[in-house]
Amino acid sequence: MDFKLTEEQQMLQETAERLVRDAYTFTKREHASKSEAGFSTEFWKQLGELGLTAIPFPEELGGFGGSGIENMLIMQELGKGICLEPFMESVILAGGLITQLGSEAQKEELLAGIASGELQAAVALDELHSHYDLSHVTTTATQQGSDWVLNGRKGVVIGGHTAGKILVSARNAGDTCDQQGISLFIVDPNSAGVTRRTYATVDGRKGCELFLDNAKGELLGTAGGAYDAISYQAGRAIAALCAEAVGAMRVLCDITLDYLKTRKQFGVVIGKFQVLQHRMVDMVSALERATSMAILAACLADDEDSAERSAKLSAAKFMVNRAARYVAEESIQLHGGIAMTWEYSGAHYAKRLVMISHQLGDDDHHLEAYAAQLSA
Amino acid sequence: MKILVAVKRVVDYNVKVRVKADNSGVDLANVKMSMNPFCEIAVEEAVRLKEKGVATEIIAVSVGPTAAQEQLRTALALGADRAILVESTEDLSSLSIAKLLKAVVDKEQPQLVILGKQAIDSDNNQTGQMLAALSGYGQGTFASAVVVEGDRVKVTREIDGGAQTVDLKLPAIVTTDLRLNEPRYASLPNIMKAKKKPMETLKPEELGVSTASTLKTVKVEAPAARSAGIMVKSVDELVDKLKNEAKVI
Repeated sequence: MDFKLTEEQQMLQETAERLVRDAYTFTKREHASKSEAGFSTEFWKQLGELGLTAIPFPEELGGFGGSGIENMLIMQELGKGICLEPFMESVILAGGLITQLGSEAQKEELLAGIASGELQAAVALDELHSHYDLSHVTTTATQQGSDWVLNGRKGVVIGGHTAGKILVSARNAGDTCDQQGISLFIVDPNSAGVTRRTYATVDGRKGCELFLDNAKGELLGTAGGAYDAISYQAGRAIAALCAEAVGAMRVLCDITLDYLKTRKQFGVVIGKFQVLQHRMVDMVSALERATSMAILAACLADDEDSAERSAKLSAAKFMVNRAARYVAEESIQLHGGIAMTWEYSGAHYAKRLVMISHQLGDDDHHLEAYAAQLSA
Repeated sequence: MKILVAVKRVVDYNVKVRVKADNSGVDLANVKMSMNPFCEIAVEEAVRLKEKGVATEIIAVSVGPTAAQEQLRTALALGADRAILVESTEDLSSLSIAKLLKAVVDKEQPQLVILGKQAIDSDNNQTGQMLAALSGYGQGTFASAVVVEGDRVKVTREIDGGAQTVDLKLPAIVTTDLRLNEPRYASLPNIMKAKKKPMETLKPEELGVSTASTLKTVKVEAPAARSAGIMVKSVDELVDKLKNEAKVI
């Protein structure tokens, strides 16, 4: 197989790499994390100006028709800088859902904004007891005349606190875990009946709980038929998270290796100790396995929906989750106490990796999903 | 006004360079290659001059292997209008490069040639000056400001004592220093446009230039590892060591 990037992909990667390297120093990230938005609005603007937020959209919708590979290249670089911006949530997940389900008018209204970065969107799929099951939806949608009225609570909506629009899954028919009867709605977070409780997540980002009390929502797609699209787009988001994790793991492996070559104990650098060399090698082996799976995920993220695609994406997320936590935990062990300090960048990489290993399904969830596909 | 910008394919500045085991050179296998940072500044300056309406066309030129097309494509994505690759797989000396660039200058007749002051691989800092000598044009090296006025260009140079401004008659050669500008990022729309911009490939023999080198690399070695620093207990001790041991104050 030829894994060589095209000239355009190389240039895209270089642009993203340079931008992250210049604009995302550890200090700047700290500053952005503590800001009201919880990310750098300036960096978000730059992503838009350079066209990076337009990558995955079809050319006729103002995008560049990028594939999973282009998304992977950007996400890897964002992972290297542990960037706080909700790129995956707004561009890949929300943008993907609108592209797949939206009417021409909805696409025209929303996608241009998302592609330019002027509109930041968020997606609210999780609930208190859903535990990664996208069909577990208790939030209700009731039609009143031509309007849809939503009631319920959505949890951990990353980027939801600053989003201009939030896509909310709600049930208009069926039982709690039925795949049929789930619809997707565009909610204006500033409209009546919508309340947000903002909080910081352990990886330095911000998200919110979304409370819907007779809130109005605009239907995206057909009523009761959104599950397949949600599941498909979650697959694209999983591929993006895998790539982000690989970027973050690579940096964490590099800084751990640097530390082993610098820190002295018993008169020699600790990297001289064979037992630590073995552990470092195991970390890099885990990273390489995860990299292969992230490439696989990127290659099939935009393929037609199929059981095989879902199984491979679950396999990728499982492998990446395991590797992410392994690299994060081993890095802390090899560093010793310093890796637990707020002032050390390694601690923040480790926290982001642990968070990624839980976003859109932990390893148990994806192992079960993979096993279910095998036995189907 | 036509501007010619020279760009060089070098090992990316973030790569830790390794010397080959036989000391014959630097190991380039699987190493990330990029445009020389000083050349990026040169491209940026040309693009800014075009944006100001001073320049009408920017031609990026590189001398190197086929893969140097990647760096030329980057120059096109940053704003150059067309590109010329003088294709050569040999390890060329600064003089050979300058002769090839002179041939391209004769062919294209630019009013301004902008180069990086040096490339970060060999750090020779020679090509711009040699090109000026070969072409007979005035030279403003280590530029931190470039202002074109009519048929003249004022170049502020970074020199040991501060800054020096030279006033050159066009056509002229300018080499860029770090503070001249901050290069832009290649945006996605411009990356896509770069695909359609023309790129010409020439061979040294087509330009009538012999690239036979008078230089031979005998041996390449990594610099000696730095010895560990020491902690001093007080400012007085530091001053004493600087004065009596290091003898720098």
